[in-house]
This record gives sequence, C-alpha cells and structure tokens, in this order.
Amino acid sequence: MTGVLFLLAAAALPAGPLDFKARDMRIEPQERRVVLDGDVQLVRGDLDVKGQHAVAEYAKEQRSAAQKRPAPQKRRGRTQASQTDASFGGQSVERFTVTGDVKVRRGDRTADGEQGVVDVPAQTLVLTGTPDTPPVVRDGSETLSGDRILLRLDSDDVDVVRPKVVLRRSLAQEGSTPAAPVKVEAAHLTLLQARRLAQFTDDVVVRQGDTVARSPKMEARYDGDGQLTKLEMRGGVDVRQGDRRATGQTADYDARARTLVLQGDPMLYDKGDVLTGDRIDLALDSKEVRVERARGRLRPEIHKGEQGEP
Amino acid sequence: MQGVAFARSSEGQLVARGTAERLDYRREGGRLEASRGSAIIHPTPGSSLATYGTIRVLAREAEGEVPNARGTARGGVRVDTARGDSALTDRVALENSVLKGDAPVAARGPGYRVNGTGFSVRTDGTAVRVGGGVRGQLQMEPAR
Repeated sequence: MTGVLFLLAAAALPAGPLDFKARDMRIEPQERRVVLDGDVQLVRGDLDVKGQHAVAEYAKEQRSAAQKRPAPQKRRGRTQASQTDASFGGQSVERFTVTGDVKVRRGDRTADGEQGVVDVPAQTLVLTGTPDTPPVVRDGSETLSGDRILLRLDSDDVDVVRPKVVLRRSLAQEGSTPAAPVKVEAAHLTLLQARRLAQFTDDVVVRQGDTVARSPKMEARYDGDGQLTKLEMRGGVDVRQGDRRATGQTADYDARARTLVLQGDPMLYDKGDVLTGDRIDLALDSKEVRVERARGRLRPEIHKGEQGEP
Repeated sequence: MQGVAFARSSEGQLVARGTAERLDYRREGGRLEASRGSAIIHPTPGSSLATYGTIRVLAREAEGEVPNARGTARGGVRVDTARGDSALTDRVALENSVLKGDAPVAARGPGYRVNGTGFSVRTDGTAVRVGGGVRGQLQMEPAR
C-alpha cells in the first residue's frame, strides 16, 4: 500500500474557490457557516469529496485587503485567490466537515470514512470512521486503514493513527508459490512521499505467516517504482516464528531476498538451543537460520525426530 | 397613486421605506398592488436579520394583503443586503413570516455563490435555505 502511495505525484491544491453540489443549502450568517445537505459533492482541483452532509465554517475574522494581498514573490495561485477573494466579499471558509459515507478521491487515490474534516489553512484532510468501519485509503487493490487518517493536501504525505497495512508489494513477484502477505500494525504511521519513506512508531508489529516481529519503531523504504525494498526495525527487536525466537537491537528485512537480519547482540532461542553471534539471518520462506560467528549452547537431543533429523 | 414613496415606523423607529411607480391600495381589506416597487428594510438591531444589515428589495410587480402580512412579488425580484448578499429570482411569496419561491434562484454573498431552484427565508433572518439541487462555490482561506 505504502509503495503505491509513493507513486502519486505531489501537488498542492490550486488556490481559489471550492465548487459544490448538494440537494439544498442553508446559509447561517450568525453562526458564520453554510450547511449543505443531501448528496453533497465538494471539488477543488483534483480533490473530490462526497458525503451526505457538509458544514462549511467561515474564518472568524474578516481579513483586511492589505492582509489578503499576496506578497509579490508568492506563487501565481495566491494571486488568483486574492482576486476571487474580493469577489466573494472578503469572507472565506477555513474549515469544512463532511459526514455520512464520506468518499474522497484525489488522483488515483481514494479514501472512505464516516467523517472528513478539511482544515483549509493547514491543508489537511482528517478522515475518521467508526469502530466497525475504520477510515480507509485505497490505491488500486491496496488498502491502508487506521483509527484516523490525515491526508496532507499540499503534498501526498499521509499520517495514520493505529495503522493497519498489508504490504502487498512485498510479496514475491516471481515463483509459483505465492508468499504470505506482510501485515504491519503500529500506533502511528507517517508516509513521507518525497523521501519514499514510511515511518511506523510505537508498538510496531510485523506479521508474515507464523512470523511475528515487534519493535518500537520501523522504517519502510521504497524504490523509484514504489516497490518495498527494505524494512528497518530499530530500538530492540523481538521475532517469533513458531517455537523459535530471535532478538536483537536491530532487524533489517530485505524484501527481495525475503530475509530478516538481526544485529546488535542478536540471540536465537530454538527450543533448548541458545545461540548468539555477530548477526542472525532468518529466511522467512524456508525458515532457515544462519548465525555468523555463532556461539552458544545446542541441545540436539531435543530436535530428534524433526524433519531432516536422523 | 403614481410615483409613491412610503415609510413604516414601529415604536418610533423607521423600519422600512420604499418607492413604487404605481400603487393601488384598498383600505377595505388592506389589499395592495404595486409595480416597479423598491423597499429598504432596516432590521431591528440585535435581531438575526440585523446580521445582514439594511436590506433592499426590488420587484417588478407585487400584490398582497397588508393586515395578513401576505403577498407575492413577481416579474423579477432582487434582494441586496448591506452585508454583501444578493439574490435574484422570478417570483416570491410571503406567508406565515416565511418568504418562499419555487423558481430558479441565483444568490451570492460573503464567501459563497449558489444557484438553485426554490428557496425559503424566515423573515426574522434565522434560516435561509436554497433547494431544488444547488450548485455553487465557496471561497476558501489561503494555505498558511
């Protein structure tokens, strides 16, 4: 999912008015707001937001002409904004809230939620849902969900609280046996479009098949085609694969080789065996383990009768 | 009467004044007919309507019953407010303190423009609604 998100071109929303359609409109000047009801659609540039109900709130203070006048070095869009601002009587919307089956489209990206709040000066759109139906961002078949999704409108960066991500792009593209998807959960996710980087923080859990890795933080890196290349877990890593457990200060997952490399006082616990070394390589598909400069305690009698054992 | 000017006061305050090219008024029943009339309404300070400031209404034809505060205006009705709102529609009816219209309406004001079909406005200014499928624009704050 994150890989796909990185493919989208970053572009700020164009300045100027927001086009709307709805069944009806209520003007409430005392409350400094406009209310739209019934099949609401709001469009500005490539941003398209639909819902059942919308409230557009005007800025508290009407800015003076001098305040509104753009500085000469500002980009062209601001000048256009100033011209249209004057034709709108000097008042402008600083926030709009859309509720009821909210659907957002921007370029190839779509997002759904129960409520969407656009902070116009901050250029953000925050999507929330319900416990049963969390907000979702989609790109093609890829899906990212979480408790709260913040889409930046002046870039393609995304900020997610309690994300749930399936890294489908991490799946092996060749070979006859499809690999299990890599699923990531965390308390927080920030997608930084320009750096092709996804930063997961707090209680990061990565699952693939029966492998579960936990760490305080993780970064996912992507290539120019948006393909996941690497997962870097930092701050103490705990990996469990069936009865096997490995720990280390860091773990790097190579998406192409599909191996996990533990370093920083790495330890491997496999039934009665306890091994340490300079680094521990775990092959997630074959479940092979390689320990460099291994030392430790082996108890081969415990492994008798296992596949491959005499 | 031709070339009429009128004013209405309440508790010593001027609340409305206007002109009409022609005005027929029947004292019995309080029926009124006017053509090319204009009215300027001064909302009571502090009222919801006062948010709009002074309101100016222009109508090609109007008729009504003054005691019942009921009437219609047609042939093109335009409303402008000191706040900067402006609305244009073909016909308007006043009944039970609600102005209503079922014709296409185009309105614009501070931060909005809207086109719809049909509208309703409470004369106290508490609710202005445009319906029938609306399209328009909202002016947005610039990014920080």
